Amino acid sequence: MVQLVGSLRKELADSLSTCKVLVVGAGGIGCELLKNLVLTGFKNIEVIDLDTIDVSNLNRQFLFQKKHVGKSKAQVAKESALQFCPTANITAYHDSIMNPDYNVEFFRKFVLVMNALDNRAARNHVNRMCLAADIPLIESGTAGYLGQVTVIKKGMTECYECQPKPTQKTFPGCTIRNTPSEPIHCIVWAKYLFNQLFGEEDADQEVSPDTADPEAAWKPEETAARATASEKDGDIKRVSTKDWARSTGYDPVKLFNKLFKDDIMYLLTMDKLWKKRKAPTPLDWHQLENSACPQEDSPVSGLKDQQVLGVWGHCQLFQQSVETLSSQLQEKGEGAELVWDKDDPPAMDFVTAASNLRMHIFSMNMKSRFDVKSMAGNIIPAIATTNAVIAGLIVLEGLKILSGELESCRTIFLNKCPNLRKKLLVPCILDPPSANCYVCTSKPEVTVKLNVHKTMVLSLQDRILKERFGMVAPDVQIEDGKGTILISSEEGETEANNSKFLSDFGIRNGSRLQVDDFLQDYTLLVNVLHTEELERDVEFEVVGEAPDKAPPPQTNQEEVNSITNGNKDSAQPSTSSKGQLQFLNKGKFVSHHSSSSSDLKQQLEHGIN
Amino acid sequence: MIDMIEKEDPVISEEEAAQYDRQIRLWGLDAQKRLRGSRVLLVGLGGLGAEVAKNLILAGVKGLTLLDHEQVHASEESCRAQFLVPVTARGQNRARASLERAQNLNPMVEVHADSDRVEDKPDDFFLQFDAVCLTGCSRDLMVRVDQLCSQRNIKVFCGDVYGYYGYMFCNLGQEHNYVEEKPKLVKPTGNSNDGPEAKKAKVDPNETTMVKKTSSFCTLKEALEVDWTSEKAKAGLKRTPVDYFLLHVLLKFRTDKGRDPDPQSFAEDSQLLRQIRDDVLEALAVSGDLLSDDFTSYCFSEMSPVCAVVGGVLGQEVVKALSQRDPPHRNFFFFDGRKGNGVVDFFGPK
Repeated sequence: MVQLVGSLRKELADSLSTCKVLVVGAGGIGCELLKNLVLTGFKNIEVIDLDTIDVSNLNRQFLFQKKHVGKSKAQVAKESALQFCPTANITAYHDSIMNPDYNVEFFRKFVLVMNALDNRAARNHVNRMCLAADIPLIESGTAGYLGQVTVIKKGMTECYECQPKPTQKTFPGCTIRNTPSEPIHCIVWAKYLFNQLFGEEDADQEVSPDTADPEAAWKPEETAARATASEKDGDIKRVSTKDWARSTGYDPVKLFNKLFKDDIMYLLTMDKLWKKRKAPTPLDWHQLENSACPQEDSPVSGLKDQQVLGVWGHCQLFQQSVETLSSQLQEKGEGAELVWDKDDPPAMDFVTAASNLRMHIFSMNMKSRFDVKSMAGNIIPAIATTNAVIAGLIVLEGLKILSGELESCRTIFLNKCPNLRKKLLVPCILDPPSANCYVCTSKPEVTVKLNVHKTMVLSLQDRILKERFGMVAPDVQIEDGKGTILISSEEGETEANNSKFLSDFGIRNGSRLQVDDFLQDYTLLVNVLHTEELERDVEFEVVGEAPDKAPPPQTNQEEVNSITNGNKDSAQPSTSSKGQLQFLNKGKFVSHHSSSSSDLKQQLEHGIN
Repeated sequence: MIDMIEKEDPVISEEEAAQYDRQIRLWGLDAQKRLRGSRVLLVGLGGLGAEVAKNLILAGVKGLTLLDHEQVHASEESCRAQFLVPVTARGQNRARASLERAQNLNPMVEVHADSDRVEDKPDDFFLQFDAVCLTGCSRDLMVRVDQLCSQRNIKVFCGDVYGYYGYMFCNLGQEHNYVEEKPKLVKPTGNSNDGPEAKKAKVDPNETTMVKKTSSFCTLKEALEVDWTSEKAKAGLKRTPVDYFLLHVLLKFRTDKGRDPDPQSFAEDSQLLRQIRDDVLEALAVSGDLLSDDFTSYCFSEMSPVCAVVGGVLGQEVVKALSQRDPPHRNFFFFDGRKGNGVVDFFGPK
């Protein structure tokens, strides 16, 4: 005889009250999920989030109120959830799930793990931990009106990393430095400029004209000559941008004239660039000052931030923000650096001003601070209802898992409009694991193309193993018959190797590296393919995958997948803006839907660093 | 009412701009302002009602009235039914018990609680609202209120959750106007003065334009009284979600028993459901095979995650209708929590 406890069969209801589940993330999806779990009858829940509450969370993260701003999300979520079910047993961790404390043993406590994350690094990591512990994982994501949920079970389904995901879109250096054609290029340039002037200087974030631009040369020999020349001269500047700025006392007008007049005039001398493009027009501070119209007091019917300033308005904004930032820098003392943050007004003002001035120079329509903030800050619009739907679907999948009905689990997509088959929610059969997966197969292996003479050990560790292959604490051994240790995850042990090149250790074409991440219980064999011919600005290539820069054309449903998995590659809290990168997921399921593509397009193209 | 020019204060406060930032970036400032000028009546504060309340309050409507004559039931079940009612509120009126937490979701919204029966409200009570959302109501009541409101250009929404199943219906009137954002077409302008090779400055590829559109809706009565005896209707049955018929069964149960299927009387209620299914399908002149016996096990009690899904879709439809932005779902949304299926379909006169 069927016995029900509420909507559920008694056996299921009983198992809910005894089992332990983990929720990773207490933000948009997390709050809704916690509520659903508690109301459905889950009694033992652990929730983890490294972030604190911000006022912009309050439109959807309903477990938080204004008085909670600044507090730990996990902690406040727990307290609020307990309000409507005091008998629930909830443990909150204000911490990063990538902390080694949360090892395989920790994960094994749970019968189910549910992600409510907004960045790929953490998703990759949890994916591996759940594979290692052999615990089912429910993965999900939302962006605007779109969302998706899927189930990952070792050996039965694809893991999170089975499908190669196009990494964030990057722009070639010469586009940023010489020939921007879209506002986003100018915004990226402005963020680089911020770092060059006030923050951590990065060789990959040059802002000055690129003399070695292959497009600028009339003859191919020229490019090589220019490249050699610039290497010697240090790209037309002999001192660092920061030092030069300091030498002028961060004089805004001097900075302005260098960046928006002198450098532009230099670009104009590279005439081949402008043969088929509209040439940039340099700005002159004093000219602009003299011809500026008096400020008209137009009634502000919109948000202040949504007004588009005039050129002179941006000049003034540039001046003000430079003055504020340089004094902030001075206050911090010797060797200080500022970190760009979209929620820090002068930092945001600076990027708004600098990017707009550049847009104007390159004949683009200028943008409001509101729009610049979206692009510069990788803001993905978010609402409560989408998260509510997705969180509901997560719990429903969870119930199937707990009932032992894994075959009935699905990937479910939430569309903005119904598709041709009238479906707003589209369930799809789960795919089996990919035979080529470099994570979940029994002996994962990859081939990486790089230049052994130019790749440093530190780059291998940070850019390739951590960033690209999602490891947290890699240990690398060379398969050279001697078991030479190249990188040790123990701090300090192999620090001396960091700035050496791979070739210094005898690594050459065909060499194999055994890489272990003991926390993730993951071993990856890396085959090295040496090459001297990599594309400009490209440090390495993973063989067998589409190049980073141009994601292959996608169908509508794949576009849906693309933006719903968070907008960050790194696991930094939203309250910091380091390493904000767009995360794209190319799904396999193909279906047609008739939603307007403009929203999607906007969302896709936002969030580019 | 909403089609009139905005009469409220055009300036949006700093507080609103900060709190609503992430949604203004999605649906725009105009939509947010229209929401901010809208008043909504929400009937029924069960599981689904609480979800809709949360969603509308967070969205930033001007006012939300919670209307429910029921009491918070004194059972452990009830405390977990929805998240706005404190565990200590047994015996209190459900709307009043939900008020405090609802208000705390967003102090910028005027939330009211009303413990009257909907049936007892005079016709002009509804006139103060831009939209009315009915949950937990009988078929006759919904039909009556729908008729009353849509005549006065008030947007009407209905919704319920029965176990793993749920639906949403809407009647936005015979002429619902809205805008849709479409990408702007960039026409290359060839200007010979620039020389044969020179290109014009690029227009921002993200520029969009707002296109005005209209959608027409029928009444709930018309939607429920579709004639299935015609050849055309019978032919269309194959592509018709069976959820529509399930809805008829559940509404009849509610009318006959004055309540929804109760887990405490599972055996009798299951039997009754099967009986009603037979009667309803026969009365509609459709095959008895359309609904197998399965459904009877899965339509008891309001399941929280199903309330979240249906409440999310319903809430968003209310937001769309009030803000007059984006095509509305026309006119039913059905959710099957066992299959993960969510379909939108139109029922009514063609």
